[in-house]
Amino acid sequence: MKRKGIALVLALLTALGMNLAQANTAKKRFQASYLDLFDTVTSILGYETDEEAFQKVTAEIYDELLICDHLYDIYHEYPDLVNLCTINAHPGEALEVDQRIIDLLLVAREADQFSGHRMDVTLGAVLRIWHEARENGINHPESAYVPDLAELKAAKEHTGFDLLEIDAENCTVKLLDPETSLDVGALGKGYAVQRVCERLPEGYLLSVGGNVVATGPKPDGSPWVVGVQDPEGRGEGYLHKVNLVKGAVVTSGDYQRLYEVDGKAYHHIIDPETLFPGEKWRGVTVITEDSGLADAMSTSLFLMEQEEGQQLLDQMGAVAMWIGKDGKQLFSPGYEAYIKP
Amino acid sequence: MKKERSALTFRRGDAVAIAGVILFALALMGYYLFFFSAGEASVARIYQEGQVVRELRLDRDVEFVLEGDFRNVVTVQDGKIAITESDCPGADCVHSGWISRPGRSIVCLPNRVEIRLEGGELTDDDVDAVVQ
Repeated sequence: MKRKGIALVLALLTALGMNLAQANTAKKRFQASYLDLFDTVTSILGYETDEEAFQKVTAEIYDELLICDHLYDIYHEYPDLVNLCTINAHPGEALEVDQRIIDLLLVAREADQFSGHRMDVTLGAVLRIWHEARENGINHPESAYVPDLAELKAAKEHTGFDLLEIDAENCTVKLLDPETSLDVGALGKGYAVQRVCERLPEGYLLSVGGNVVATGPKPDGSPWVVGVQDPEGRGEGYLHKVNLVKGAVVTSGDYQRLYEVDGKAYHHIIDPETLFPGEKWRGVTVITEDSGLADAMSTSLFLMEQEEGQQLLDQMGAVAMWIGKDGKQLFSPGYEAYIKP
Repeated sequence: MKKERSALTFRRGDAVAIAGVILFALALMGYYLFFFSAGEASVARIYQEGQVVRELRLDRDVEFVLEGDFRNVVTVQDGKIAITESDCPGADCVHSGWISRPGRSIVCLPNRVEIRLEGGELTDDDVDAVVQ
């Protein structure tokens, strides 16, 4: 009888032990972040059995993103590397480049076409003028100024994809106008994240400067939850939350990277038509399966009227939410199905 | 025969064993409830240049300064944390407001600072990431 009691205890303990053992092999949630990529915050969430496995994955992600960051950098050159900055500094020369630059520029050409030239990476000459004004305005608010329209118009003359020669076969790139320069903006990081995500296992969520991409559901099958920031709110104030299983969520808004001149705020999304910051919307959030084009799409939609934007969404099989100047939210068909109830 | 039948009857040893198992289970449950209880994030971990420079709980109000290339004033109040003052260009960190939920973070890129809320159980209200 005593033996039976002990047997019972042992049986229960064994069952408990098996449970604990199972819990140990189950995947746990890990998080890592980096502050030195693409001049923004990168955060990685993932489920792995142990920290070592997670660190192995994050190290690979970091290495690949770092290379892309250097390749797509237009402000710095690096030893033994031909990057976009090198291309900008050597117009008229056919430079042999990394395949990742060719791939990005081909995607950029696609974006230029579907956006009706609104998302144009050859706009460097115009964007450089705004970049200087913005940096000055943020660092020295007392001397903040608005760029001169005549100067912007003169720079616009040196933009357009016909001034960029991409030779995919020989892996070379050439700028045909000495004043033309490339600025891939958010497209570069979006494309880099897409590349990385293609090689990741399911159950990862990458956020690079608010460009959020999921590689598949969490191990329990549930979706990732992404908060869409309220432009008027701060901290944990969200307009709503969206469920994301696989694909990307990206927002373009007029409330980021601002500087002020005489009480008026100037944001960083420049409309190639007006050569000034886009003024149609407060923000646009796009949800799409093709995360490589998500940035290009949100930028394009931010600079388009709703109707034209909707046509683009239909063409790309994506959904969006627009926030009007009056703060009113408009949804494309299908967006609301993503909203977490 | 007689001996075997008596083995099936309930004895004091069995009671002790069962009580032991129940007590053990309760203790285990208590342990999990205590360490993995839902609610506010358990700890704010502050990283500078990728290293943890400070850890604090959000249940006691406090204010301190993080010196680096710039100067961040960090404030904990009513279970929330924020960078309330900064001399960095643009002061994006101040504009990101107050956070209190597990997994959320505030970053000051120019000062290489990240304040991340770690631990604490995620609830149905929490988000995994934010687009802005």
